[in-house]
Amino acid sequence: MNTLTRMLLGRLGGLLLTLLLASIVIYSAVLLTGDPIAALAGGAKPTPELIAEIRAEYHLDDPVWQRYWEWLTGAIQGDFGRSFVYKTAVTTLVAPRFAITLQLVLLTVVLILVFGVGSGILAATRGRAVDRAVATATSLGMALPTFVVAILLIWIFAKSLGWFPVYGEGDGVWDRLWHLVLPAISLAVLFIAYISRVTRSALVAQLHSEHVDTAKVRGIPRRRVFGAHVFRNASPQILAIAGTTIAGLFAASAIAEVAFGLGGIGSLLVQAAARADLPVVQIVSLLLVTIFVVLNAAADLVSALIDPTSVEGGALA
Amino acid sequence: MNGPRLAAGAVACAALLALTACTPRDGADVDGDPGELTIVDSLPAGTKAVDEVTWAIAEGEPATLNPAASANLIIPNLCDNLLSLQPDFSIEPGIATSAEFVDPVTFVIELRDDVTFWDGSPVTADDVVYSLQQGMNPESQWYGAFALVVPDPATGIVATGPNEVTVHFVAPDSTFRDALAGQGGAVMQRAFGEAAGDALGTPDGGLMCTGPYELADGGWKPGSAITTTANADYWNGAPLVKTLTYTFVNEGSTLATALTQGEIDGAINVSPSSRAVFEGDGAGTLTIGHSTASYSFGPTTATGPAANPKIRQALSLAIDRDQYLQTVVNGLGYVQKTLVPEFSFQSMAEADVYQAGYDALTDPEVDLEQAKQLVADSGEDVSEPLVIAVPAGAKEFEQTATIMQAAGEKIGLDLVIDEMQASDFGALFYDPAKREGVDFVATQGYLETPGVLGYPSLFVLPAEQGGIFNWSGYDDGEVTAHMMAARNATDAEAAANEFVAAQAVYAPDQPQVTLAGTYQLTYLNDDLTGVTTSVAAYSSPWALHLGGQ
Repeated sequence: MNTLTRMLLGRLGGLLLTLLLASIVIYSAVLLTGDPIAALAGGAKPTPELIAEIRAEYHLDDPVWQRYWEWLTGAIQGDFGRSFVYKTAVTTLVAPRFAITLQLVLLTVVLILVFGVGSGILAATRGRAVDRAVATATSLGMALPTFVVAILLIWIFAKSLGWFPVYGEGDGVWDRLWHLVLPAISLAVLFIAYISRVTRSALVAQLHSEHVDTAKVRGIPRRRVFGAHVFRNASPQILAIAGTTIAGLFAASAIAEVAFGLGGIGSLLVQAAARADLPVVQIVSLLLVTIFVVLNAAADLVSALIDPTSVEGGALA
Repeated sequence: MNGPRLAAGAVACAALLALTACTPRDGADVDGDPGELTIVDSLPAGTKAVDEVTWAIAEGEPATLNPAASANLIIPNLCDNLLSLQPDFSIEPGIATSAEFVDPVTFVIELRDDVTFWDGSPVTADDVVYSLQQGMNPESQWYGAFALVVPDPATGIVATGPNEVTVHFVAPDSTFRDALAGQGGAVMQRAFGEAAGDALGTPDGGLMCTGPYELADGGWKPGSAITTTANADYWNGAPLVKTLTYTFVNEGSTLATALTQGEIDGAINVSPSSRAVFEGDGAGTLTIGHSTASYSFGPTTATGPAANPKIRQALSLAIDRDQYLQTVVNGLGYVQKTLVPEFSFQSMAEADVYQAGYDALTDPEVDLEQAKQLVADSGEDVSEPLVIAVPAGAKEFEQTATIMQAAGEKIGLDLVIDEMQASDFGALFYDPAKREGVDFVATQGYLETPGVLGYPSLFVLPAEQGGIFNWSGYDDGEVTAHMMAARNATDAEAAANEFVAAQAVYAPDQPQVTLAGTYQLTYLNDDLTGVTTSVAAYSSPWALHLGGQ
C-alpha cells in the first residue's frame, strides 16, 4: 500500500467519522432551536388537541436519541425525512436547488481562480507599481461584504444600465449564466482579494528561496523557473486555502442567493430555518458539512499529487 | 368566522389576523401627505390575450394549496368558492346559484349544473358535500365557520338532490353564508381528494378544482415556482392569460427592483416602505385598494398591568396615530378605531347599522394627561418593565414596538422589546409557556371575507367559546351575550344590532389596541390590467380578468 492509498483510506475514514459526528451535532442542535409545531400546523389554529395529534404523528415526544437513530437509519437508506412545511421528501426539495447553488459556486470559483490567482501572480512578478495597485484593490475587495457588493451591482448593472437581470435563475444554459453573473461576482469579490494575497505571498516566499536562486544561477529560463519551481512549490499552499474557501462558498452563497432571488440551497436554508422546517435544515446543514470536508480532502489530495513530500510534511493533518 | 389565522411562515410574521377598514372619506389624509389617495378595488378587465405572466408572491412560498388548510393568493385562482366575493366585498352567486337558510337551522345550497373540474368531470352535489366537510375537521383553517353545523358527518352536510346540498345546524348561524364566499366554501373533487389523502394540495399531491387556472401535474416545483395554465372551459369565461407563473420573493427590496425593472409582472401586498420606488419611474403602477388589514397590539397575560384595560387605554392615548401611519406604512393607511374595520361590513345587509355603531366610537387621540391619570388610577405596580414581543427582522413590527416604547416613556410605563425568531414568535400564539415573561404582542392581520363577528370573538369571548387569543381573561357577560345573540340571529337587523351593542362595550376596553388600518398594495406592469386590487383577492379569482391592455 503506497502513501497515497493509505492517505486516501485514512481520509475516507475521517470523512465518515466527521459526518457521523456532524449529524449528531446538527440533529440535536436543530432540535433545540425551534418548536416545529407552527410549521406542522400549517395555517390551522392550533388547538391543544391538534397539537397533541401532531406531536404524536411526528414522534416529537420520543427521546432525542431514539429519534436520531430512526433518522440515521432512514438516512443511510436515502430517506432523509419529509419537509414539515411542504410535506414532500426533502431530497426532492434539495436536489434541484443544489444544482443552482452548484452552478453559482462553479462560476464563482472560475472568477476567483482567474482573477485571484491571476492578480496574485501579477503582484508577485510585475514590479512594485503593480504590486501596490493590486494591494490597494485587494484591500478594498476585502472590505466589501457580499451583500454590499450585491446592492452596488444591482444598482449599477441591473437598474441603471439594465445589462443584467436583478432576480431569478433563468431558463436554459445562456439565460442561466446571464442570471448568475452578478451573484457570482458579488460572491467572488471578497475571495478574489483573499486568494490574490495568498497567491502573492506564497509566490514571493518561493521567489526568494534558495532553490530558485540556484535555478536562476544555472541559467534556466525565467519562465521555466517560475513554472517548474516557483508556482509548483507555491501551489499546495494556494490550493489548500482555495479548497477551504471554495468549500465555504456553498454556505456563503446564501447571501447572494437571497439578494438576487436565486432558489439555491442557501436561500432554502434561510427559509427553512425561519419556518422551523427541521428536516430541511438538517439535510442542508449536513450537505454543507459534507461538501466542506470532501473539498478539503480533495484539495489535500491535489496538493499531494503536485508535491508528494507534503503528505509527510503534515499539510494533510 | 373565517379570518384569523396563525401564519407559521417566516415571512409572514402575521400571527393574528386582523382587521381594519377604511372608507374613502377618512381615507389617507395623514400629516405630511398632501392630497387624498385614490382607492381602487379592481382594474378594468384586460382586452388582449397574453402568453405568460410572472407573478410574485410577496409572502413567500405557501406550504400547501389545499384551500382547507391555507389562505394564500394562489388558491383563489385555482379553486372557486360556492359564492363569489366581489372586489367591493359584496357577495354574488358563484358555483352556487343560491345559498340561503330555508328555516333557522336548515341551509340549502343550489348548484349550477354546468360547472366542470379541470379534468372535465361535472361538479356534483357529492363533491360539494365532500368539500364542505373539510371545514368540519379541526385542522381546517375555516373550522370556526362550521362550529354550529350538526357535527355528525352523516346528517350535518348532505346531498339532497343532483344539484342541491343541505346543511343542518344545531343553532341559527348568521355568519355561515358569508363564509361560503371564502375558502370555507371552496369546491374540490371528492375522488381526487380521497386518492391524494394528506398529500392534497402539496407539490406531490396536486389539486382538482374548477377555477380559471389549472395546476398541472408537476406544476409546483417546490422552492422555485408554481405554474398554472388557463382553464379554457371555465364556466365564467376563459382567462386571457395562457400561463400564470408564481414565483416567491420575500425580500422586499429585491421584489421592488424586479417589479420596477419589469422582470416580474406584478405582485399583491408589496411593501409600503418601497412606496417611493413604486411611485417613481418603472415598468408598472402601484394601485391602492381597500383592505381589512391592520396593525394592533394586545395583552398576552392575565396578570399584571397588560391585562388591565386602563393600562391599554393609557398606551393607546399616548400613541400618535398619524405619526404611526407615516413611520410604519409610509402614509399608506388610515386611522382605525377598533378591531372590526369598516370595509368588513360596508357591503353587508344593514351596513348603516354597523356604520352608525362604528361612528359612535371615540376617535383615538393623543391625551397624555388623561393617559397618566389612567396609569395612576389603574392601581397597577408599573415599576417592572413590560415586555413587547415582535418577530425579529420585521421592520414594521420593530417600528411598532419602538413607537409603543416611546409612548410608554411619556406616561411612565417602562416597555422593553423582545425580538423573537419567527418560529418562537409563532409559538406564542398556542403555547402558554412561550408567553411567560411577555406582556404584549404586536400583530398584523386581515379578514378574507365580509363579517364582523369572527375577529373580535377571538379576543373578547371566553376561551371555551372561541376566544382562543383571549389571554388576558377578558370576560364580560354582556359582551358574550350580545356576541352570541348576533351569531344566532335569524335576521340581519338583529345580528347587526346585537354586534353593535357588544362592540359598544368591548371597544373602549381595548382587548386589542388597534393602531392603524392599511391598504392593499398591488403593483402591476403597465402592459397589463384586470386584477382585483382590494383584499377580496384573498377569496376570489383575482386574475380571472387579467390581460393585456
